[in-house]
Amino acid sequence: MADLSLRHVSKRFGQLDVIRDLSLEIPSGEFAVFLGPSGCGKSTLLRMIAGLEGLGGGEIHLGGARIDTIAPGDRGVAMVFQHYALYPHMTVRQNMEFGLRNIATPQPEIDRKIADAAEMLEIGELLERKPAQLSGGQRQRVAIGRAIVKQPRAFLFDEPLSNLDAALRSRTRIELARLHHRVQSTMIFVTHDQVEAMTMANRIVVMNQGRIEQVGTPMEIYQRPRTRFVAGFIGAPAMNFLPVAAIREEAGRVVVTLPDGSTVTTAVPTTALRPGAALTLGVRAEHINPGAGTPARVEVIERLGERTLVYANLADGSTIVYDEPGDVVLAVGATVHLAIDGAATHLFDAEGMAVHG
Amino acid sequence: MRTWQRGRSLGDRLLLAAVVALAVVWLAPIIWVVGLSFKPNEVLMHSTGGILTPPFTLKNYVDILAASSVFGWMLNSTIVAFGQTILTLLIASLAGYGFARTNFPGRNALFVLVLAALAVPEQAIIVPLHTMFAAADLHNTYTALIVPRLAFPFGVLLMTQYFRAIPPEIEEAALLDRASRLKVFFRIVLPLSIPAQATLGIYTFLHAWNDYFWPLVSATKPAMYTLTVGLASMQTNFAQTEGIGFLMAQAVFAGLPVLILYLFFQRHIVSAVAGGPLK
Repeated sequence: MADLSLRHVSKRFGQLDVIRDLSLEIPSGEFAVFLGPSGCGKSTLLRMIAGLEGLGGGEIHLGGARIDTIAPGDRGVAMVFQHYALYPHMTVRQNMEFGLRNIATPQPEIDRKIADAAEMLEIGELLERKPAQLSGGQRQRVAIGRAIVKQPRAFLFDEPLSNLDAALRSRTRIELARLHHRVQSTMIFVTHDQVEAMTMANRIVVMNQGRIEQVGTPMEIYQRPRTRFVAGFIGAPAMNFLPVAAIREEAGRVVVTLPDGSTVTTAVPTTALRPGAALTLGVRAEHINPGAGTPARVEVIERLGERTLVYANLADGSTIVYDEPGDVVLAVGATVHLAIDGAATHLFDAEGMAVHG
Repeated sequence: MRTWQRGRSLGDRLLLAAVVALAVVWLAPIIWVVGLSFKPNEVLMHSTGGILTPPFTLKNYVDILAASSVFGWMLNSTIVAFGQTILTLLIASLAGYGFARTNFPGRNALFVLVLAALAVPEQAIIVPLHTMFAAADLHNTYTALIVPRLAFPFGVLLMTQYFRAIPPEIEEAALLDRASRLKVFFRIVLPLSIPAQATLGIYTFLHAWNDYFWPLVSATKPAMYTLTVGLASMQTNFAQTEGIGFLMAQAVFAGLPVLILYLFFQRHIVSAVAGGPLK
């Protein structure tokens, strides 16, 4: 099984640096998700691995062999495209056969592989149909089937769920996770949807402006974001960021004063701080406890069913979002008192890097 | 709401009336030609009016089969029209694919040059063309009848636009399926462009079949006449003609292949002529 290794790869479109000196190792059999906002370079990086985009610099290795110098078809990768990219004039069977025929696979083997894939994806009854006669979800399965029959060393998925409706998307997520468990191949999945990333990934690669912000398991990324960007991008609602007005030390820990005058005792040791650095406090909605503490005025109430998100204004005018139970009785304009769980907060320096102990 | 519907239906009726009127205007001469072709020449010497009353005859068509040069001209037209159509499709497809999908220095300038050729009228190049082919001693050959019509900027434009509309992802998927560039073109892109090929092919064929000006200039020997030139050459000798009925039978005969083509490709022809192509 393959180890995918990106070594100092870079890419420019004209004057624009799309990928900047990026290095990454993906162990064999891993489900890795490239996550980031639009234009962060994640799809370009995937296309570079596939060979659909050239490299500006660096090397790509798969299974110990360098692949960036060889043709896309010879790299041992299969790709599932955002818009499926099925051949419209061919039946489902012909779509799946096309790649196998191009490498002169014997017909019995083709038939067996297609039968296996069709059974796994439950598309057996669709084999003689054309793509235009299929629903979005069925096309999606066929596109995956076309990739599976090639038995690639690595699967590349380019936002394949973005065209499905919400219900089908969550079902397909589960099926993809199941598929990965079954075929045990390396899978790289590109998405801007953090839910997809959190639910499917063994490891998430968070990208921003052509660089890797952080690589880690979903919970590592969620609980210990390395940068303010990652902290803000992962999690819904987005993490609250509050400017720090002043700091002091208490039992070796940093205690910060917020603009409204309230103080929060963090878990960050003072030894991690550089003197004079401007800091931002980050705290997630679920780590803000209503009841006692600093006063705030309720501005917007978002009911999500199992929980309620409350957006409230602090004394200095800044907005903070926190969690309430789904059936909380609360009105806009009411005054609430909020206590921040200091142990669960994050501190970020002026460059946006997390300050950890 | 009611007024709007009535207004629309009135507009529809006016449109229908206009279409019917136009159809009558267009059909009348054709019906007349067909009618005259079944009349004895002697009757037509006196009057060409009563096409619906006897006597009728098939003699004009029998005479075509026996004596006329129409078959030779029809063969010439067929060779020229098919030759032009096949070669135009090939050239326009390859050029269009090149413009749509490959990146080479000067591509945009070259494309503008092709588009500029759309603005050059046929009459402006006929003398230089004649001189060129005369110098090469190619007049009165199929080469001369076919080759000058192959530079067809509209065809290149049509195919370029069509290829651009095909999602590149489909070709990329084929590349990942280990298809060569050429295989991608012939197995994926070309089959997907059949609607555009049909439009361009039919347009080219009809244009070639009905072409008159260049064949008139280039084909000076009766054996190399195309149908249009041949039929016209008989009409210019109207005083010594073998008879109007015979002439009309030849015209019907000449029109038949196009009519048959039309019946087969009606849908594509309508969309080709309507200019709203590719669905």
